[in-house]
Amino acid sequence: MQRPVGNDFFGWIAYLLDSYGSLFLQGAGYTMLIAISGTVLGFLLGLLVAIVRTIPVNKKDNIFKKILLKTVGFILNVYIEVFRGTPMIVQAMVIYYGSAMVGINMDTLFAAIFIISINTGAYMAEIIRGGIISVDKGQKEGAHAIGMTHWQSMVHVVLPQAVRNIMPSIGNEFVVNIKDSSVLNVIAVSELFFVGKSAAGTYLRYFEVFAIIAAIYFVLTFTTTRLLRLLEKKMDGGKHYTIYGSQSASDASIKVEQGEAVPHD
Amino acid sequence: MTEKNNVSMNILQVQNLKKDFGKHQVLKDISFSVNKGDVISIIGASGSGKSTLLRCINYLEEPTAGQILYHGKDAEQLNRAEYHSKVGMVFQSFNLFSNMSALDNCIIGQTLVLKRSKKEARERAVAYLEKVGMTPYMNARPSQLSGGQKQRVAIARALAMDPEILLFDEPTSALDPEMVGEVLSVMRDLAEGGLTMLVVTHEMGFARDVSNRVIFMDQGVIAEDASPEEIFTNPRQQRTREFLSRILDK
Ligand SMILES: Nc1ncnc2c1ncn2[C@@H]1O[C@H](COP(=O)(O)OP(=O)(O)OP(=O)(O)O)[C@@H](O)[C@H]1O
Ligand SMILES: [Mg+2]
Repeated sequence: MQRPVGNDFFGWIAYLLDSYGSLFLQGAGYTMLIAISGTVLGFLLGLLVAIVRTIPVNKKDNIFKKILLKTVGFILNVYIEVFRGTPMIVQAMVIYYGSAMVGINMDTLFAAIFIISINTGAYMAEIIRGGIISVDKGQKEGAHAIGMTHWQSMVHVVLPQAVRNIMPSIGNEFVVNIKDSSVLNVIAVSELFFVGKSAAGTYLRYFEVFAIIAAIYFVLTFTTTRLLRLLEKKMDGGKHYTIYGSQSASDASIKVEQGEAVPHD
Repeated sequence: MTEKNNVSMNILQVQNLKKDFGKHQVLKDISFSVNKGDVISIIGASGSGKSTLLRCINYLEEPTAGQILYHGKDAEQLNRAEYHSKVGMVFQSFNLFSNMSALDNCIIGQTLVLKRSKKEARERAVAYLEKVGMTPYMNARPSQLSGGQKQRVAIARALAMDPEILLFDEPTSALDPEMVGEVLSVMRDLAEGGLTMLVVTHEMGFARDVSNRVIFMDQGVIAEDASPEEIFTNPRQQRTREFLSRILDK
């Protein structure tokens, strides 16, 4: 394909798509890989942190356990404050070049996923803690009253509801990660922004290249948002429950609309 | 009743129980015992410490001082899971697990705490839901049930653990008036079936007709502990009389 002359916008777009299209797609692939791994790993990290931070301290626990929990809690608070209080672009520089200085040469993709995961973990920890607190205390007491331990009530009662309640925030973190992974171009990982920067530099066509890059980012986030909404709907399940027939008609089961059988609540 | 007989019938013994919240002494020195088959109503003004007493017996609150003996043994030394399955609780606000169906609410404690098989737990859960008339709704989530229905599921959940005694904390006071009856009638059946019950209630009809003992609490102490006939027809204490006249006038 011929290189366009002058400021022929559509000519440049066509030319860039032709010669860089597959590279852009590859960059988008990297971006999604980084964003998805960062969100999943960050979620797991945040879950762990939030669970540890909500372990109840009992007056009767031994002193060792109390001190351990206090210390770990303090360290986790520092982690959360630091990673939420500094820009990820700076964290990337410090971690990537800092680790190189002590002799660890991270692969750029690995470094990118590592950085975005611990950054996301700090936000997730707070989000999940909020989710845990939002589950009403009565249900924990209900669990306690039938002899369930703290862990059993966490796993079976509190966390499933906490995670459902914070699904919108988790989705939001994911979308933020798709966009903010662009700052990781500073450690030269070939995600979408980095690929765009290289392409733009080659022909000095910044506007055209980044118009394409913007469009790709938008498609990624827009699709993701729609898919997450579908997922949330799915998690909520049906609005119906099945009325179970009593002895008189044990095999009869009728679909009942929510609210129909419950005029008072 | 002989001394020996008395000990074997004794399920719970609360001894010199005290509970402070900071400087506030909520329970001041509570002692009483519960025998097998007792249906005890606990009545008293708001703030007198009735809920706190039940919550201490169930270790939802740590007592500040005193002891709870379960069959003569210090409950604090017992395995908590076992103690909790034997001493069940029904709450004013139901406290059902919202992420589970009515049936699963009644199964989960059995499988996790009592280590029953899924199949056995399910059979028992269905049987107890039947007993409270909730089998038609066993697949419903708590949010899809009325208050009275929720409370009946909560009772089935507690019963499924095979408790020796059930504590009820105002089980009907969060309900619309027309749903109070269905829950009280379930409780009446349980009492007639011989279940030992400790019921904090404002339902004076239930206290008078169903229970064999009434405890009147006032400002953190047991002011009177007597048969319902005595409490309702001939209370010894002036404050019992005042409380009853206030509540029965309503
Ligand atoms: N967790 C708590 N922290 C501080 N004070 C508390 C706590 N729980 C209860 N109290 C106080 O203890 C007192 C007794 O409360 P409790 O709930 O036991 O009363 P009650 O007899 O059950 O009243 P009601 O009939 O209104 O339910 C009240 O003054 C209450 O404010
Ligand atoms: Mg109360």
